[in-house]
Amino acid sequence: MTNSPLKNKGPQDIGGDPAGPIDTTDHGMTHWQRQANAFRSVTTMNKIVITDELRRAAEELGSQYGQMQYFEITTSAIKTVLLEKKLFTEEELQQKMIQIRARFNVPDESLSPLKKTPLK
Amino acid sequence: MKKTSFDIHAPGNAHHDHHDHVHDHDHDEHAPVNEHDNGPPNDYEIMSRAMQELLEEKGYIKPGQIAKRMEEFDEQFPFRGAQVVARAWVDPAFKARLLADGRAACLELGTILEAERLIAVENTPDVHNVIVCTLCSCYPRSLLGMPPSWYKSRNYRSRVVFEPRAVLKEFGTALAEDVTIRVHDSNADMRYLVIPMRPHGTEGWSEEKLSQILSRDTLVGVTVPSITNH
Repeated sequence: MTNSPLKNKGPQDIGGDPAGPIDTTDHGMTHWQRQANAFRSVTTMNKIVITDELRRAAEELGSQYGQMQYFEITTSAIKTVLLEKKLFTEEELQQKMIQIRARFNVPDESLSPLKKTPLK
Repeated sequence: MKKTSFDIHAPGNAHHDHHDHVHDHDHDEHAPVNEHDNGPPNDYEIMSRAMQELLEEKGYIKPGQIAKRMEEFDEQFPFRGAQVVARAWVDPAFKARLLADGRAACLELGTILEAERLIAVENTPDVHNVIVCTLCSCYPRSLLGMPPSWYKSRNYRSRVVFEPRAVLKEFGTALAEDVTIRVHDSNADMRYLVIPMRPHGTEGWSEEKLSQILSRDTLVGVTVPSITNH
């Protein structure tokens, strides 16, 4: 990628880059990935967001993009767009996340970043 | 560069072990390091559920809509592509319509596609077609279900466009040197579906039986249908 003549090449633009062998096994999806996928699908189906908005938000992740998993990228993109559209506030989201995390009953609190660094 | 407020994963935090492997992002879709179902939920999982509940409470999403969609992705979508192509194999008029306007032809069989256009590309003795989405993971999901891990992987997206023959070999598909390989790069508005060549020895087979040799991989074009074991 360092040799790319394209100055504006985004992190998603990897077609043609050198890369290693392909793991041809399909590793399937965890339950949360299935939820995240269905959620993305329904937000577009219900015309709450459009695919291009999500793509733009994902591409804006820049250097983080290559380090995030697929559904982390889509979830982050949906969050960005829904906040922009003011469908909920950051405060509402944080409150809801705290409620949901409590339901999971995470055994070791030190593992929860929410306990260490309150999100803005 | 935009920084999201979610950038809170501290390197060295065992819980977010996979985020530390910056050098290892070629494997970003590869389990088991990504699996969280057996451990504490990660922040994105919590966030995704939180957004779902907020939109349900505010009436943007109907209760049950997400569950229904998950079910469709599991139980319906993965089988539709094979049904469409099996129909094309037995019905030349349908195949002509599928090649002319994929979206309209799928609608005949009751499938509404997410994207505006579906372009069906037909393999012949001289030309083999392969699908990719180099920019993300555009894929005819309502025909094939979710894209497999490798379709979303950096290595497939990067390489299939410039060395498709080598990539196909990694899937166990060796094509003759004189066969042209066409790689089709999908996007948000336009999806592709490969119509493989119908194997010899399938004459007289029902659509149902034919659909069983039309695996997802054959419809993406990384393998070709075979009647071994059928």
